[in-house]
Amino acid sequence: MNRGSKIKEKEKASQFKTITGASDKVATECLRATGWSVEAAIEYFYSSGLQAAVPSVDMKGIEALFAKYKDAADGAIRAEGVGSFCEDLGVDPSDVVMLVLSWRLNAATMCEYTRDEFVGGLQRLGCDSLEKIKRRLPEMRGELKDPAKWREVYHYAFAWAKEKNQKCLQLDVAMGMWQLLFAEERRWQYIDDWCAFLQAHHNRAISRDTWVQLFEFVRTVKPDFSNFDESAAWPYLIDEFVDYMRQRQAVAED
Amino acid sequence: MAGRGHGLGRGLGLKIEPFKHPITMDPNYADKTWKILEDAIHEIHNQNASGLSFEELYRNAYNMVLHKYGDRLYNGVAAALTRQLQAVAARVEAAQGESFLKELKARWDDHIKSTQMIRDILMYMDRTYVTQQHKTPVFQLGLDLWRDHVVHHPVIQQRMLSTLSDLIAKERAGEVIERSLIRATTQMLVDLGPSVYEADFERPFLAAAADFYAKEAQAFIASCDCPQYLRKAERRLSEEVDRVKLYLDASTEAKITAVVENELVREQMRALVEMEGSGLVAMLRGDRFDDLARMYALLRRVADGGLALMRQVMGDHVKETGRQLVNDPERQKDPISWVSRLLEERDKYEAVVARGLNDDKTFRNALNQAFEAFVNLSPRAPEYISLFIDDRLRKGLKGASDADVEAVLDKTMALFRYLQEKDVFEKYYKQHLAKRLLSGRTVSDDAERGMLVKLKTECGYQFTSKLESMFTDIRTSRDTLADFRSRLATKGTDLGLDLTVQVLTTGSWPTQGAAKCALPAEMERCCEEFRDYYLNAHSGRRLTWQLNMGTADLRAQFGSRRHELTVSTYQAVILLLFNEADSLSYKEISAATEIPTSDLKRSLQSLACAKGKNVLTKTPMSKEVDEGDAFAFNDKFSAKLFKIKIGTVSASKEGEAEKNETRHKVEEDRKPQIEAAIVRIMKSRKTLDHNAIITEVTRQLQPRFVPNPAVIKKRIESLIEREFLERDPNDRKTYRYLA
Repeated sequence: MNRGSKIKEKEKASQFKTITGASDKVATECLRATGWSVEAAIEYFYSSGLQAAVPSVDMKGIEALFAKYKDAADGAIRAEGVGSFCEDLGVDPSDVVMLVLSWRLNAATMCEYTRDEFVGGLQRLGCDSLEKIKRRLPEMRGELKDPAKWREVYHYAFAWAKEKNQKCLQLDVAMGMWQLLFAEERRWQYIDDWCAFLQAHHNRAISRDTWVQLFEFVRTVKPDFSNFDESAAWPYLIDEFVDYMRQRQAVAED
Repeated sequence: MAGRGHGLGRGLGLKIEPFKHPITMDPNYADKTWKILEDAIHEIHNQNASGLSFEELYRNAYNMVLHKYGDRLYNGVAAALTRQLQAVAARVEAAQGESFLKELKARWDDHIKSTQMIRDILMYMDRTYVTQQHKTPVFQLGLDLWRDHVVHHPVIQQRMLSTLSDLIAKERAGEVIERSLIRATTQMLVDLGPSVYEADFERPFLAAAADFYAKEAQAFIASCDCPQYLRKAERRLSEEVDRVKLYLDASTEAKITAVVENELVREQMRALVEMEGSGLVAMLRGDRFDDLARMYALLRRVADGGLALMRQVMGDHVKETGRQLVNDPERQKDPISWVSRLLEERDKYEAVVARGLNDDKTFRNALNQAFEAFVNLSPRAPEYISLFIDDRLRKGLKGASDADVEAVLDKTMALFRYLQEKDVFEKYYKQHLAKRLLSGRTVSDDAERGMLVKLKTECGYQFTSKLESMFTDIRTSRDTLADFRSRLATKGTDLGLDLTVQVLTTGSWPTQGAAKCALPAEMERCCEEFRDYYLNAHSGRRLTWQLNMGTADLRAQFGSRRHELTVSTYQAVILLLFNEADSLSYKEISAATEIPTSDLKRSLQSLACAKGKNVLTKTPMSKEVDEGDAFAFNDKFSAKLFKIKIGTVSASKEGEAEKNETRHKVEEDRKPQIEAAIVRIMKSRKTLDHNAIITEVTRQLQPRFVPNPAVIKKRIESLIEREFLERDPNDRKTYRYLA
């Protein structure tokens, strides 16, 4: 597929969502039905009764929330605003639930919400007050138990966490994200070994490919690496990690 | 056949029958006629046929058949023959020992003769009765009955076989036997039908032969060395073939050959090939071409793996000796002899294949594989081969004829072909060629160009384009310099020294970073003069001086003796300092010249520490140069020659650090080549799985080097990162090309 057109489609979809507050699925549906014209799609959305699916919310409440946290200098919520937002919600900023929330709000960058992301996102969630958001938090936490959503959040985390003008994710940020993601019941037993290995032998930024493939690796390869196939196109970092672990295990056995 | 004789009429609704008329016949007619015929048969059998009338007998037989006594006649003949043959069998049985076969042959000859006569008499019966009733024709009947009653007579059968076996065994043991009798007997069996020959003679004969040769093989293998055994086996094979020609049926040749091959060769081949001290390895060591040829010829007969075994043992041996050769620490010290030794090894095996192994292509391939395997065991092979060529092109070829030069270089190219890392070779070749060209020490331009052409044919234009541009630079420099000098002459400028400049294109030459050094004023002035001239002629260019690659000729006075010294530019700069002072410390020299430390140390070392060339003295005296040392001009220096060349202590073989640097450069150069290959492949294939890419990239790059799969993988990941490729979202092992 042509990459250029794909990117344009994404842009149109987000434009559509900001205006209508509809979900991804509905946006794609409407746009596809109207041949990717945003205006026609919006008309279609309102005339077909699809807007009924969007929960009715108090837009003023959301606007007020945004105004409360937004940075004085520009039109977005920055690190400081996110900090007080977390405080008001009663969650730690490094709680994984904030990642899920950002994912639900479709936020592009860590510790940042643009107006479109924040307002449009909360509208889609049907939350117009801190109380309502708070009530939704346990549900969001639970979403990580769904394998498909867990995977989506993991993939989303890479783009969310990286510097926007860079292709790769800084190693320390990457390790922090992994520690956050592979924690609790999603814990990967080698997470500490993996981070130690990266620091000792790699010490460079992490590419998107390595990020994505690690998820598959954790998901499919057995803890004893018995079903690890060297010729199966794993990124070389993972190859080297397996070597490293096998050597250590061999030494440990001696 | 349906409707014999009436078939014609059926379609027409007609019926044609012979005209019938009552025949009055003597009721005893059949008995009488048969009696006549029976007597005749009896007489014929007793070789008494002269008194018989063929015509009469024929008519009698004819009439009997005509009068529907065919049955009677046929059965009667059969019975008569049987009776007679039983009598014959008794006679043959009675013959013992040597006369047995003679008797058998005589009776057989008689039987054939008489059966022929009987057949002639009964010809009408053969044509009508026999064909109509599907009986065996008379002559064949005679043969069948002979088979049943004589050949298959239990005593005769057994005795015939044992007599034949005994005779053959005697002949195998070297005795002379009466072959014609055997020939007659086997011929008789063949005449009785191929199946009779096979069942009654050939099968037991082959079984006995297998038994005999199995025992003989055991005996030979225990008592002979491998060449002896092979000679014996060869002789046995030809004996058996001769035997077939002399007294057996031709069809037996393939079978008996197979038996002998199986017992003497196939069963023993591993033992033979691997025989300690005289097997294949010993033959290869001793260049025993005849024995090799014999082994080859014999093992070729073994379809399932005879030659494969030989190839494998030879390949392993070549690999093993080659491995020892390339890893021999003594040889590794001298790259020239290291390569010479490899060339000798190759010559040796070329001769082995050509003269001992029938020029067999498969062996040549095995040989090439073995060489490739061990030559590449040494990571320094590319460097050494280039050094060897360098040595040949410098001095080795002096006095050698053009044809010799060609031959040596051709052979070296064969080694080059084995190299997996041709790009590493290219790096070194470039370095060595640069040294040769810059020092003006190549023996012959033709030889250099010849070598270049060879490399070009082997590896293509790309491989040599930079090398060629080096030649061009040297030629252009010559012209430039001539022009520069004539300009100086017209301007009337005298530089005070003779400057030679070679202008090298950046990128075509292996330049080490331009190391600076402080030149004495007179030299600096020359450089400026040239720079002005050159930049004037070619605006927009930049000149960087590579002083580390230069040389200088100096005139020096040691006491009363004068000498001309050929030194490097660095050394010249150092020596010129001693015009002003008799003694200088290392630090002073370093400060005055600004030559990089390692170069300075090497230069000083060769000026002060080399025996017979120590134009400087060093305190304290030692082999190595230390930063605390002091140097003085050596007044007492003396040498026999007027001209003295002082080389810089520089290993012709690379040191560890240089080696790693070259290695690193090579690795860096490979990256874009691997990426280009990946992109080229993916552009045409669009999607491809991981292993297919690795295979294809390796195949494409093989002519230059063998890329490491892990390196290819890293390049793929880098291309994914730069969005030339992506992984298939549904199958992580498959990559897709992104336009």
